[in-house]
Amino acid sequence: MKVDSLLLSPVKLQNTIMDSNNVKDPNEQKLKFSDVLSNALNDVNQLQLNAQRSSVDLAAGKIQDISEAVIATEKATIALQLTMQVRNKIVDAYQEVMRMQV
Amino acid sequence: MIIMGIFNAIDAAASGMSAERLRMDVISNNIANANSSRTAEGGPYRRQMVVFEARANASSFAQIMAQQQSAGSGVRVTGIMKDQSAPRLVYDPNHPDANKEGYREMPNINIISEMVDMMTATRAYEANVTAVNAAKNMALKALEIGQ
Repeated sequence: MKVDSLLLSPVKLQNTIMDSNNVKDPNEQKLKFSDVLSNALNDVNQLQLNAQRSSVDLAAGKIQDISEAVIATEKATIALQLTMQVRNKIVDAYQEVMRMQV
Repeated sequence: MIIMGIFNAIDAAASGMSAERLRMDVISNNIANANSSRTAEGGPYRRQMVVFEARANASSFAQIMAQQQSAGSGVRVTGIMKDQSAPRLVYDPNHPDANKEGYREMPNINIISEMVDMMTATRAYEANVTAVNAAKNMALKALEIGQ
């Protein structure tokens, strides 16, 4: 009996990050690391604001669905944890550079 | 937003939770009106049912093509329909709504099937909560890489 070998098929990212890197758009090439970082921080901040707003709306009775508020809070939590991990990595890299012998 | 990609699973499960909550509302309304023989539009109350459909957020051709290789974005409530089956007839000659033969038209609601539907809605809601928790755990586990 012939058994096909198992092949690992890579997951394709459709439209978001990978494609924008491959595109030879002059504007994309100029995107600085600090811009990317501040955009990501803005997104995280937006999620935090959404969570806060949904909590207030829930307390005020504007939201009928409890899950809506809870999920907004969860999203904010996950995004903040991701931000903290990125920050830790950046601080690690900085300290690594500072430890370099001159 | 760059980071929204990791929330697809959570968004889909959240839409499922909203849909099941609406279904629960409708079932509660059915149970509450199981004995209502009058409505605003006349006749007895008719059983209501929710209709769900898979949600696709594609509007352009490119998005539809991209969706062939990606998951959808949850569930959407198409509408609340009325069960058109015949009303139940109950012999109750003294009731003001009884007809000449003494029968009263009662809603076409079987309380047992409504209870079963309610249990289904509860379990489906729980399943969506589990999916949210699993997606969250996956995201948080990924953050533990390299620690």
